[in-house]
Amino acid sequence: MPSIQSTLGEEEGIAEELAQSQRQISIAEFFEKNKHMLGFDSGARGLVTAVKEAVDNALDATEEADILPDIYVEIDDTGDYYTLIVEDNGPGITKEQVPKVFGKLLYGSRFHSREQSRGQQGIGISAAVLYSQLTSGKPAKITSRTKGSAEAEYFELVIDTDENEPEIRKEGTTSWDRTHGTRIELEMEANMRARSQLIRYMKHTAVVNPHARLTFKEPSMDEAHQFERVEDADLPAKTEEIRPHPHGVELGTLLKMLAGTDSHSVSGFVQSEFTRVGKKTADSILDNFRDRHFGREMAWRAPQPHDDADVARAVQQAVANKGADATNAFADEVTRKVEARDRVAHHELVEIVAEVADEVGDDHGVTFGSTVQENAVEAGWGELTADRTADLYQLVDKATSTRKDDETVHGLAERLAKRFEKGRERDRATRKELREYIDRAADQTEEYDDATIGDTARENVVTELRSVMVTVPDDVPKVRDLADDRDATSELLEAMRETDIISPPTNCLSPITADLVEAGLRKEYDADFYAASSRDADVHGGDPFVVEAGIAYGGDLEAEGSAELLRFANRVPLVYQRGACATTDVVKSIGWRNYNLDQPGGSGIPNGPAVIMVHVASTNVPFTSESKDAVANVPEIEDEIELAIREAARELKSYLNKRKSLQKRKKKQNVIASILPQMAEKLADVTGKDEPQYGDALARIMNNVLVEREVESVAPEEQREGGEAAGRKVRLVVENHTNTNESPDITDIVSAEPTNLSNGATAVDMDGEWFIKWSPTVESGDEAVLEYDIAEDASFDVSVEGIEDPKLTVNQ
Amino acid sequence: MSADNEAQAQEKLIDLAAEFYDQFDRGEIPSMSVPTRTKSNIVFDEDSEVWVYGDRESTRSANSVRGARKLLKAIYTIDFLAEQLNQDRSSTLRELYYLSESWDAQEAQFSNQDESNQLVEDLEIVSEVTREDFHMRPEESGATIMGPLYLREQTRRGERDIHCQEDVGEGGYQIPNNPDTIEFLDNDADFVLAVETGGMRDRLVENGFDDDYNAIIVHLKGQPARATRRITKRLHDELDLPVTVFADGDPWSYRIFSSVAYGSIKSAHLSDYLATPEAQFVGIQPSDIVEYDLPTDPLSDSDVNALESELDDPRFQTDYWEEQIEIQLDIGKKSEQQSLASHGLDFVTDTYLPERLTAMGVL
Repeated sequence: MPSIQSTLGEEEGIAEELAQSQRQISIAEFFEKNKHMLGFDSGARGLVTAVKEAVDNALDATEEADILPDIYVEIDDTGDYYTLIVEDNGPGITKEQVPKVFGKLLYGSRFHSREQSRGQQGIGISAAVLYSQLTSGKPAKITSRTKGSAEAEYFELVIDTDENEPEIRKEGTTSWDRTHGTRIELEMEANMRARSQLIRYMKHTAVVNPHARLTFKEPSMDEAHQFERVEDADLPAKTEEIRPHPHGVELGTLLKMLAGTDSHSVSGFVQSEFTRVGKKTADSILDNFRDRHFGREMAWRAPQPHDDADVARAVQQAVANKGADATNAFADEVTRKVEARDRVAHHELVEIVAEVADEVGDDHGVTFGSTVQENAVEAGWGELTADRTADLYQLVDKATSTRKDDETVHGLAERLAKRFEKGRERDRATRKELREYIDRAADQTEEYDDATIGDTARENVVTELRSVMVTVPDDVPKVRDLADDRDATSELLEAMRETDIISPPTNCLSPITADLVEAGLRKEYDADFYAASSRDADVHGGDPFVVEAGIAYGGDLEAEGSAELLRFANRVPLVYQRGACATTDVVKSIGWRNYNLDQPGGSGIPNGPAVIMVHVASTNVPFTSESKDAVANVPEIEDEIELAIREAARELKSYLNKRKSLQKRKKKQNVIASILPQMAEKLADVTGKDEPQYGDALARIMNNVLVEREVESVAPEEQREGGEAAGRKVRLVVENHTNTNESPDITDIVSAEPTNLSNGATAVDMDGEWFIKWSPTVESGDEAVLEYDIAEDASFDVSVEGIEDPKLTVNQ
Repeated sequence: MSADNEAQAQEKLIDLAAEFYDQFDRGEIPSMSVPTRTKSNIVFDEDSEVWVYGDRESTRSANSVRGARKLLKAIYTIDFLAEQLNQDRSSTLRELYYLSESWDAQEAQFSNQDESNQLVEDLEIVSEVTREDFHMRPEESGATIMGPLYLREQTRRGERDIHCQEDVGEGGYQIPNNPDTIEFLDNDADFVLAVETGGMRDRLVENGFDDDYNAIIVHLKGQPARATRRITKRLHDELDLPVTVFADGDPWSYRIFSSVAYGSIKSAHLSDYLATPEAQFVGIQPSDIVEYDLPTDPLSDSDVNALESELDDPRFQTDYWEEQIEIQLDIGKKSEQQSLASHGLDFVTDTYLPERLTAMGVL
């Protein structure tokens, strides 16, 4: 290419020459060069991303069709390449749609909708197809069978990257054992270095989709691993699409919406195009819009009797040729109505004059025409605004601190009055203009009166003045005017953001619910303790979102090192970029020591056998990048994540506390239980008596439930008729030394048939052993005695259920 | 000591064990209450004019692991003491500590000697038997007497009659562990002078102070052992001799005086057996430091703390002590007994003691 210097002077030629190499880039071509943006930056990662996109698609497809997902994922090492097969039991895709869904980037049904779903842009699966064709050169093989069709459709296709259009290589029908569903087979250059991420992805998907059955097979596995669904887990609640929320739109979107709407009035527009906007809210938005668009009008105090200004005289003089009576009546009535009000703004004066003109005109048979009215308004307004300073003095004085001296306040009021006088007609001003007035006046006062008026004081004056200013009744611009008026639209946008509007509805969201979060964790992690929480919906940028958290602790979880953090967005596990995720930041910022977890240095991921799970569901989860690996740091979402985690962590804390106190108790029990017998033995030594009984003392010390057996021989004559050889009376004494009532289940297993069972017990014969069962309720500090008779040579074995082990002492 | 005493001590120990036994048998949690042994729990007993324990009690109960261990140790110790009395043997506190190593119950072994000492004190209080009657000796007694006193001591080799000037060497008569085995036969003494340091005691003996003034010089050897305090009390009670205490001029020495005169906090249960409330303090008084222009050391922080704590101590709440301690805090100085040597070796016997004792009305 010739240098620019050499072609100077032929400028037209250059532009044309350059134009030859300028052309549109197809989106497919763009992503071909920017694979990393979609998560296909390496062979290892590409495989994970492809699995992820295919599984997300499969889950979305099945759920939309109300089918419990049954998804099969297989990865095969075929020598040069890896083959990825993903099958679902979804509704299938029609013959016409198949090429577009898999062979065209940005083709999808959800990009424009405000509804929670896994995929959003319609990039994922076609990007996987693109990646496969770029690395292996092989087409994607797609089989799809819709319900009821006899055969499955079969396609082999690639993406024409120049045009972003599917290019079908082979098309036909085939037989398939699934009655409906879709199967995609991709060959790609890949490796299994990310095996652990893959397995984790599948496991996490299983946690967060307890209603799905997943089957996974990769080259190192002998047979496929099945992630079973939680029994009775229903499909997630159906979500509904919602209109945007006024707090979440941006200027460009608003302009586009204004251009596209059928409404004529702004009121109709906001009510029909946004969620949560009814007539009342629309009115508030409009008032806010007026304040911004037109400014508010200053309302002045009516002149007082001792003031020089006199509304009545001024109005009287302004009216000519209407007769003395009518004129006086008119002037008096206007004055009366003005004085009846605390303050009067210009448009209010206009209203008053018009009203009085009607009334007095009727009474006196005179017509006060528009010219007369205008003159009267002008005259009256002149009197109202004759002494703005005095009025402003009061307002400024009220707004500023008492330390401001009189001179400063007066100076400020005087200069402000001048600003109003020089300012817009009818003493109108927007908030911004008002602040400018005050800044000018304050600056001058500072300069000439040697005073200081700080930012807070100025802002206070603005607030005070605005509180007496009134919104004007002018008509707001029509929608068609706004669409071309960027400034006015921006005022409308501000007005919408300013207005209090209830949060968007949450039926567009489908949280997992706390119960199923717990069930999901229970299913995939073998722990001692589980807790879950699900927050109420909140809004960020107009999009509703729900945060859920779960914690599993103990059991078979890895005790060494950090806790495992599971991040999910819209039921999709986030695998990469852990460090960039808001979820991780929040978990690290929580003081886990408060919740009895080990946290070196008091910050960071806690240590110990714990799994912490966070799920963010939203119509629009803010990700840090297109590869959707990390949730962006949006303050509203971070706050909710923290609250959700803390909610679950509180349960963990009380569990750990209880466990600790039981452990402590057990330890105490062990020590005391070894000391007391030694004491008893030594006491017997010293006193020369038999060893004393220490069981009661032990139970009392440990606040325990004590079950003690007493056996006593029964004289033959006391035995029931037909009794065998001399027998024994057995007593089980249940003493409750705890602070609560206890209801233990007590089972005594004896080797002979017992008789005379007390307390409604039953004896069941099981292969020559009798099971005697009691379920007494023993009040705190009380005891129950359970009795039966039995043969002399019988053996017994008592077991007690329903009381925690450390709280139980059994003396056989 | 009589066989009676021993039998009684043994019986009381076994009674104690029997009480634990009964507590077990009644299904109660074994426990033992002893008075709290702190400065805040001693009260002045008007009758005996000594300081004894107040009403506050600490309970050693098997309710806690700590308490259970303590009681187990107590029971083992009771067994040991009862057996020792049975065999008419004796042992030292330190031997008890080491001996516990041989006990079969691990939990019964003492972890340090403070623990075993404290336990013996507990048992003394609860059984109302003195340690001496348990045949428990302290590690070293070693305090001595020099003066015109004739006494008879029961020894293992029979009775010995000893004159505490004529029958003893320069070191004086060694006070036995249990001074109740002594019988006073005769004396020419006018008063008892208890001396804190060995150096000063040797000075007085060398200068012939005991002869010149008919003084029984008792060497306290720092904080006096029980035997020393007991014999001092007996000298006062039985021979009707005034008791004076001559110590350094610092807060620690005031405590030595107070344990002779009022009883110590740790053995307040034995105050009416050990304390001599009529004992008087000779010096060094803080006012003497000024009056005799004695060489001084500045008060250290711990000295000041000790003085201030003495102002709170019920035993020191008399006009005399409050005035002296205020003076000392004011001048910020302290002096040793031997600082009197700055005026010559004979100054203490020729000038200081005669002046002070005359002022106190002893001479």
